[in-house]
Amino acid sequence: MNSIDLAIALFLLGNLVVALVAAARGPTAADRMLMALLFGSTGTGILVLLAQAMGMPTLVDVALLLALLAAIGGVAFAKRAWQGDGHD
Amino acid sequence: MIDAIGTLLPIVGALFYAAGTLGLLRFPDVYSRLHALAKADNLGLGCVLLGLALQAEDLAVSLKLLLIWPLALAASSAVSYAIARRAAHLGVKPWRRDSP
Amino acid sequence: MMQLLERVLSFAGLWWLLAEGHRDGWLLGGVAVVAATWSSVKLWPPRAYRVRLTALPGFLAFFVVNSVRGGLQVAAMALRGRRALTPGLIDLALILPDGAPQILLTYTLGLMPGTVGVELADGRLRVHALDVRLPVAAEARALELRIAALFGVGA
Repeated sequence: MNSIDLAIALFLLGNLVVALVAAARGPTAADRMLMALLFGSTGTGILVLLAQAMGMPTLVDVALLLALLAAIGGVAFAKRAWQGDGHD
Repeated sequence: MIDAIGTLLPIVGALFYAAGTLGLLRFPDVYSRLHALAKADNLGLGCVLLGLALQAEDLAVSLKLLLIWPLALAASSAVSYAIARRAAHLGVKPWRRDSP
Repeated sequence: MMQLLERVLSFAGLWWLLAEGHRDGWLLGGVAVVAATWSSVKLWPPRAYRVRLTALPGFLAFFVVNSVRGGLQVAAMALRGRRALTPGLIDLALILPDGAPQILLTYTLGLMPGTVGVELADGRLRVHALDVRLPVAAEARALELRIAALFGVGA
């Protein structure tokens, strides 16, 4: 079971790299902002799988913190989007 | 039975993550790529978390894993809106079927 | 007063969860619960929109079912590539009041099947739809009614 979780974590890591490269190459500035989405979802997924696979329950706290920061960062990000109109 | 579901769900989740990345690579504009990443990756994360929660022996550990999901959802829905709105303000036109 | 108690209990439950049920950190936990309740009252005064606990389970179930549908739908579209898409922008006239209800609608629509919010202004929400032939407006209206029930506001 642990080796399955480790394999999935590695698969997600590969997935994250491909997605990051694709988003970073994206033609518009908005495409590059897609990278911000990837850390919140794929990053936390990798952390919780590693926590299980390596028997390190503390990593769940790290994942929770990452998700929390992603949520706060996301809302701050959106707040800027509500207000900032004229400039880039 | 629960063990089997707990082992299987993270694998299903990984497939959703892969579908999200596939959408990112194949969809024509930033708006549709946004749909792919936000929705597919979050369902993937939900499957992974639920699977691991079923594997955990301790109820509090399970609930803590499940607590991550709403936080990640809040993050991606807020970021999604910010990106879509930014793209619209940058003048990115949505891809249409009839346009080249 | 009831609302204050609700908040204290929610934060205490959250602490229990984070401490994984261990009881040795209760002193720190008590301080954290008081601090969290105080800042929540400062930032989100009890007079503002209030979530109805009785409507919460229905809303959550609706949300989970539809976000699973949304994920499945977009995954299927990703497998078929861009020929699966008939995207476009749709303007929705909202029936929800300003503020928290409209913002919650805008955010949650991004996780529902086939829609993502693009611009919310003056009671109108512009969404990007992956397939404009699907009943986007009807689904958004169903979500609006759920949110109206959640906040106990007429819609």
